[in-house]
Amino acid sequence: MPHSPSSGPTGHLLPAGERLNRMADAPSSISSRKGLSSAQAPGSPVRDVGGPVTRLLSSVRDGRGFDIVLVAFPLGFLFLMAGLPLLYNVLMSFQEVDMFSLGTLMRPFVGLKNYRDLFAQPETLPILANTAIFVVGSIAGQFLIGFGLALFFWVNFPGAAWLRGLFLVSWVMPGLVVGAIWNWILSGDFGVLNFILREGGIISANIFWRSDPNYSLYAVILANIWLGTAFNMILLSVGLAGIPADLYEAAELDGANAWQRFWTITLPMMRSTIGAIIALGLIFTLQQFDLFAAITSGGPNNSSNVTQYWAWEQSFRQYDFAKGATISVLMIVFVMIASVVYVRSTRHEVRG
Amino acid sequence: MTKQIELSGVNKYYGAYHALKNIDLSIEKGSFVALVGPSGCGKSTLLRSLAGLESISTGDLKIAGELMNKVPPRKRDIAMVFQSYALYPHMTVEQNLTYSLRIRRVAKAEAKKAAEEVAATTGLSHLLGRYPRELSGGQRQRVAMSRAIIRHPKAFLFDEPLSNLDAALRVHMRKEIRTLHDRLHATSVYVTHDQIEAMTMADHVVVMKDGVIEQQGAPLELYDRPANRFVAGFIGSPAMNFVPATVGEDGRSLAVDIGEKQTIPLDRQLQPGRKVTAGLRPEHLHFVEPGQGVFRLPVGIVETTGSATYITTSTATEVTVVDTTRRPVRAGDVIDVSIRPADVHIFDAETGLRV
Repeated sequence: MPHSPSSGPTGHLLPAGERLNRMADAPSSISSRKGLSSAQAPGSPVRDVGGPVTRLLSSVRDGRGFDIVLVAFPLGFLFLMAGLPLLYNVLMSFQEVDMFSLGTLMRPFVGLKNYRDLFAQPETLPILANTAIFVVGSIAGQFLIGFGLALFFWVNFPGAAWLRGLFLVSWVMPGLVVGAIWNWILSGDFGVLNFILREGGIISANIFWRSDPNYSLYAVILANIWLGTAFNMILLSVGLAGIPADLYEAAELDGANAWQRFWTITLPMMRSTIGAIIALGLIFTLQQFDLFAAITSGGPNNSSNVTQYWAWEQSFRQYDFAKGATISVLMIVFVMIASVVYVRSTRHEVRG
Repeated sequence: MTKQIELSGVNKYYGAYHALKNIDLSIEKGSFVALVGPSGCGKSTLLRSLAGLESISTGDLKIAGELMNKVPPRKRDIAMVFQSYALYPHMTVEQNLTYSLRIRRVAKAEAKKAAEEVAATTGLSHLLGRYPRELSGGQRQRVAMSRAIIRHPKAFLFDEPLSNLDAALRVHMRKEIRTLHDRLHATSVYVTHDQIEAMTMADHVVVMKDGVIEQQGAPLELYDRPANRFVAGFIGSPAMNFVPATVGEDGRSLAVDIGEKQTIPLDRQLQPGRKVTAGLRPEHLHFVEPGQGVFRLPVGIVETTGSATYITTSTATEVTVVDTTRRPVRAGDVIDVSIRPADVHIFDAETGLRV
């Protein structure tokens, strides 16, 4: 704690016993500091001893100023590292940008021309559709398998916790590594997936997952489901663990069978967790870049291209930075909607 | 009288731990039975076994004459009020009440009518639209009870339902639960660690310790004739005084060792020289004129509550005396007290069993 009895004007004006009381009353160290700083509020019986500089210093050390400093650091960091690039990106989407004007900020303003051009391109709508399929397919797969696994480990057989921990390995792995592994699994000639499907009698000829336009997008979805399932499972496990056991006992005595208990207790009690995880899934899925880079590079012929990969391609492959920025703005809108859903779902926590 | 719940030779093991030991208990239809004992005595395990939330290892459990050993809880037609209330937090009071009816696919209008009827009797009518988190402790307690009542089950099980309430509300709800029982005449099993709750509410009290039923019977029977030292010390407040004693040469007197030997008369013949423990209830020790009493005791601590004064002696074996006459007594005084021979409980010094 930064305040010794003689440390500053705030400190020694409160009797020692009073200070101790305030600290003892406060439920946490943060609010105890608030309790002390509130003694400086107008109307409280604290005399102003030092000059404005001393006051400022003591406020920063032990008062409202400290609160502001604490908040200002992360806010400033966020603004600098995320806010400014975001604004710059939005600005670029309304400008004409080429290799020569890349270094300047003030470039010719073209209004909505970039947006009009974008939607005039024949590949735009298919890529947007691909993105929708990718997002819905990935989230559905991750959530359903994740929920299934969470319920499975919830039964708590011997070794359940240990095994559940192992599942997290997939989530810890970098996307590029996961992509490389899935490249082998999905390989048309020697891939293990084709082997299993063939031996299982499901297919008669090899599927070239990565190079067949009919399958390329689903190849990435498959890898992405594998990557995100563990995260879904962990969050859903936490949600399941948060439901008091006696609710199930009460429901059981009220005559509900396992299926009815799932629908009337588990699912409604998991509402906020499910809302949060689907919103997070939407954000993570729209961020998924590595797998596309590693597995299909958006091809063949854009058949597995999605907006996030396409934006990168436009900016850093075609050097059409305005187009890349325009695509990114579209994505910002979607992610914003998902964020609102996420924030709202965590606010409506149901806990009795 | 028909038996609503019958347990015979019931044992429950958790691995090597023997939680219930050879329990025989029969509960008559419409009676109010309290299971009481210190924590870890198995009373909650026994209750949960009745509900089917725990399975019994050996023995037979019958409810309304039917063997229930393997029947799952949802088919036992038993309602339970949990210590935590276990209200469904995502449902309104009305939805909580009608849950069991909705599970059984009772028509909506009928379920709503039933909820309104029950709510009217438990004073919840104005709260039907609220969520559990918006209710006070006492109101939640009532919802939990109403949820049980609405089903007209074969038996009500209460698992320490009052322990989360403050003292005043607890006394109030105690009466309310008993009134409800008298109105519904439903078989009720009530688990508590509070002997006052058990004594005041139940028709039949079952005292348990370490998975064994120590004694069962009507409340006053347990108070008047405790079967052993444990029951004697558990029932009654303040607790019974236990002092080591030896039966006199004539077999009709007792030499009691409270720091110094004092002799009290007996109303029965015992084997001379036998080592026993004398149980003296604080409320049975009454003041007498100096020289008239059987005990002369130095006073250690005096606690006044207004209605009664608790006097603890400074003898080696502490003895508590309850006085309701507001006699002026101070620490350091010497008091003369006596006891009627019929009020002296005698337990074997070795086994603790009633002599």
